[in-house]
Amino acid sequence: MSASPVLETPSDHELAAAYRIGDEGAAAELVRRHAPAMGRFLYSSGALPDEIDDLVQEALYRAFRRLDGWRGEASFRSWLFAIASNVLRDEYRRRKGRRVLSLEDRDLPDRSDPDADLAAAETEEGLRRGIATLPRLQREVFLLRTQEGAGYAEIAAALGTTPGAARVHYHHAVKRLKELVR
Amino acid sequence: MTDCERLSDRMPEVALLRSAWTAEEAAHLEACAECRAEWELVAAARRLEERAPAVDVAAVAEGLRRRLAEKRPARGRTRWAWAAAGSAAAAAAIAVAVTSGPDDGPATAPPAVAEAGPLVPLPELEGLETAQLDTLLRTLDEPFAGTSTLESSTLGDAADAELELILTTWEG
Repeated sequence: MSASPVLETPSDHELAAAYRIGDEGAAAELVRRHAPAMGRFLYSSGALPDEIDDLVQEALYRAFRRLDGWRGEASFRSWLFAIASNVLRDEYRRRKGRRVLSLEDRDLPDRSDPDADLAAAETEEGLRRGIATLPRLQREVFLLRTQEGAGYAEIAAALGTTPGAARVHYHHAVKRLKELVR
Repeated sequence: MTDCERLSDRMPEVALLRSAWTAEEAAHLEACAECRAEWELVAAARRLEERAPAVDVAAVAEGLRRRLAEKRPARGRTRWAWAAAGSAAAAAAIAVAVTSGPDDGPATAPPAVAEAGPLVPLPELEGLETAQLDTLLRTLDEPFAGTSTLESSTLGDAADAELELILTTWEG
C-alpha cells in the first residue's frame, strides 16, 4: 500500500530560485505570501492607508529587481520589511519630510464598548504616531520584534547590524514609546 | 539577565499567541509597573497590525508583473528569438538562391507592411541587399496565402542545376 503523496509548500528560498530562472508563478506566490504582512508593517510605520498598496508594490518591485541581494541570512520577510522601510523613507523625502498621519473614522474599531474601544483606538493611534517618529533602526527593530516575533539575530541580519545593537535599539524604542504614549 | 529582561524577551511570542505566560511571569507582570507598561505597548503594536487596511494582493501582483516584464529580459522569449533568427536565416538563403536564377518573373507588388511587433535582432539579415530583403519578405508572406513554398511555381520551374544549387544551400 503506497503512502498518499504529500504536497510540500515550497520555501521562500525555493521560490526565489525558481523566479531567478524565469518562473513567474514563483514571484506571484511570494507576493501572495508576503504582501499582506508588508502592508501591516507599512501601516504601523505611519504610511497612509490609501498609499499602502502602491508602497507595497514599489517595495516588491525593488526586491525582485535585486533578488540576488537576499542571501538568506535573514528571512525573506524581514528582508522585504527592510526594503519597505526604505520605500517609506523615500516617500517621506518626496513629501519633503512631512509625515501625514491622520486618525480617520475608518481607523477606529467597531466594537461593543464604545468608551473602551475609543481608549484602545487612541492608544494604538498614539503608538502609530510614536513609531513613525522613531529613528529608523529603532522603528524597524521594534516592528520586526513585536509584529513578526523575529529574534535579534535575524533582525540584525536583515538590517545589517549586530544582535547586541538590535537589542539596544529595541529597548531605546520601548523607552521612547512609553514616554510618547503615556 | 534580570526577570524584567527575560519577560521583555518573551513578550512578542506571547503577544503573537505563540506562547503563554507562566504563573511566575504573570505574577511578575502584575507586580512590575515598567514591565506592564512595556507589555501594553507590545500588545498595542499587535492590535495596531490587526487594524491595518487589507492589501489588494491581486492588484499589487498584477502591477508588479507588468513593471517587471518591462525591465526583465524575458528568458522564454530569448529562446524563441534564437529560433526565429535561425528560421529567417534559412529562409533568406532559400530566397536568395531561388531568385538569383535567370528566369526571374516580373516583380510583384511589395507586401503590405506588417503590423509593428517586438523587435527581434536578426544579425543574419544584416548582410542582405534591399532587393534580397524584399524577396525574402515576399517569400515569407507566401505561406499565409495558403500555398506551400515547396509547391510554388518558382521551384517547380527551376532547372535541375538550380535545384541542386538550392539543395546545396539548404544542406550546407
